[in-house]
Amino acid sequence: MASKKAGGTTNPNLKIAAGAMVCEDCELIGDITIGSRTVIHPKARIVAESGPVVIGEYNIIEELVTITNSSSTESGNGKVLIIGNNNVFEVGANVQAVRVGDHNVIESKAHVGPKVEIGTGCIVGAGCQITMAEQLADYTVIYGGKCERRIQRERPPAQTLQIDFLTKILPNYHYLKKPNTQPASRTAVKK
Amino acid sequence: MATYADLELVKYLCCCKKKFSVCRLYLCKYCLQLRCTDCTQHEVDTPYCPHCLENMPSGEAKLKKNRCSNCFDCPVCGHTLVTRSTSHTSPSPDDPTKTIAKKMYYMACGFCRWTTRDVGLPDQSVASGSWPILQNPHEQRISSLLENYKIMAQIEKAEHERKKYVSRRSHLYRQDKYGGSAAGLRRKGMSTFSSMSSTESKVPGELEPSVTVDSFEPLPNEYFTEPAALVKTTKLAHRHSVPEFQPTEISKLHPIHKHLLMRKSLRCKECEHNVSKADFNPSSIKFKIQLTAQHHVPEIRILTPSTFTMNKETIVTLTLSNPSVFGMTVSLHPIEDESDTDYCSAKVELPKKELLLAGRDEPSMQMYDDSSQADEFKDDPKVIVFRKGNKIGFVVKVTPVVNEGDVKIQFMMKHEFRNTTAAALQSESKEPEIVWLEHKVYMNLGPIAKKDPNVSQA
Ligand SMILES: [Zn+2]
Ligand SMILES: [Zn+2]
Ligand SMILES: [Zn+2]
Ligand SMILES: [Zn+2]
Repeated sequence: MASKKAGGTTNPNLKIAAGAMVCEDCELIGDITIGSRTVIHPKARIVAESGPVVIGEYNIIEELVTITNSSSTESGNGKVLIIGNNNVFEVGANVQAVRVGDHNVIESKAHVGPKVEIGTGCIVGAGCQITMAEQLADYTVIYGGKCERRIQRERPPAQTLQIDFLTKILPNYHYLKKPNTQPASRTAVKK
Repeated sequence: MATYADLELVKYLCCCKKKFSVCRLYLCKYCLQLRCTDCTQHEVDTPYCPHCLENMPSGEAKLKKNRCSNCFDCPVCGHTLVTRSTSHTSPSPDDPTKTIAKKMYYMACGFCRWTTRDVGLPDQSVASGSWPILQNPHEQRISSLLENYKIMAQIEKAEHERKKYVSRRSHLYRQDKYGGSAAGLRRKGMSTFSSMSSTESKVPGELEPSVTVDSFEPLPNEYFTEPAALVKTTKLAHRHSVPEFQPTEISKLHPIHKHLLMRKSLRCKECEHNVSKADFNPSSIKFKIQLTAQHHVPEIRILTPSTFTMNKETIVTLTLSNPSVFGMTVSLHPIEDESDTDYCSAKVELPKKELLLAGRDEPSMQMYDDSSQADEFKDDPKVIVFRKGNKIGFVVKVTPVVNEGDVKIQFMMKHEFRNTTAAALQSESKEPEIVWLEHKVYMNLGPIAKKDPNVSQA
């Protein structure tokens, strides 16, 4: 119950860059930074209790996705969970990874365990579970009931068109959280 | 369907004395007998592609090795590949300052995300039909073997026919043996003979015999020193799906032409009438003829499981539903001379009166008022516990005679059947003839309750 309150607009540690689309009806707990042009659908849940979560640009986080920073059992002691750019988290995915790079697709209801590091261009197929401590090689595809693996040649295509479409359509049906930081200033800090 | 109809608890006896659940049986309208898949002739109608749903004549299908030329399966996971288009810009040959956009196509798997680009196949300019076909390295050897076997078969056939002939008229054979007269052959009018004599000389010697392999190269050292690259190596299933190439690396997998499926029709072995025949159009889910028993024979099911004790009468509620649109009368009788001792683990008291079932009437099924319907049929509430549309629930009294194992009962079910075959319609005054059919029904009602040895029987 308390966490629900923290997920409201009053979360003081929530930083949303201009241009991001974050629906009001999602749960954002703790120190969370959301990059420009990232779309977060309603009913998504991001839990940054054990450490901050930093989400880059051009990501799509769909309904009922849970992203948890589980780097530490104690609250606030963990490392930062950094999610790169151009990632897609499909409906119901559960991600607790150490790090997520760029251009990855976590398909519906997939589960990424707390000790997994995802690089670039990986696909975790629908319903696949990866729970062992490992660093996924770039362009790894995990698919099917037996979580079979393959290395693909190209990374999955960027979802720019889909983001454009969602940016147009989402405000018609959902209340959005107001951005409170400028993306330009964020990049300036980085430099 | 298979999950709730195919429980194998209630079985009907087929004419061949095997027991099947009703959804596995057919009712031949002409013999008025139940037929199982073993009692029917399975015939191939036409091969068709399950993806593009196109019929292919059997001859052509054989030529194309029973594969569709336009549809492909993913070589990695076996899913159907879909064609994707991309636009490709290249400088115009006439004017280098301009670029022309051209649509290019590649294939991708929606499941494991494999694409033809993964293995370096160039994109195609047309959507289908232009994908390169790999040449089987052993094609020549295989075709020469096939050719040889064909000749062998011909010789054997001729030999067989000659033997048949010889046993009838042995003196002619002797003549042939020494004279080898063509006239003798011609007189017999055997075309196979003449065709054989021309091919006979070709057979022996020409075929290169297979070579025995008795030693192999030892495994290269890398197999022991390098870590196994499992993500790049094909699995056994991948290799088996392309027996002609059996690639060892994922990067050498090519799209696989989709296997054709067969549309099958079933024919009664006794009277040779069709009991199941699909529509000609593969995209249609309708049947031209579908005489599955489920559509004609009332179906008995167990309503709820009961607890059984040896020598104690238990009331079991069964349901009976009428699949036909007409009302139906059903009666149940014990089987007197039963030889199947497996289904004799309980005594059963069946309803003595005939059971009346309303016809199946889908649109108004929900509107039936239970009480009014019960009045209409003058149901005995002691026998018929409920009535809903074309379905009734009735009770039987079961007394197990064994003290462990499953309670199994058997009885004979008689029911009305409206014979609508053309022959039956013509003989009567266009009114379908009503005949009584009998089926033996075998039921497994569940296990006998485990007795607690510490509790004495009350
Ligand atoms: Zn049979
Ligand atoms: Zn096809
Ligand atoms: Zn595939
Ligand atoms: Zn028949």
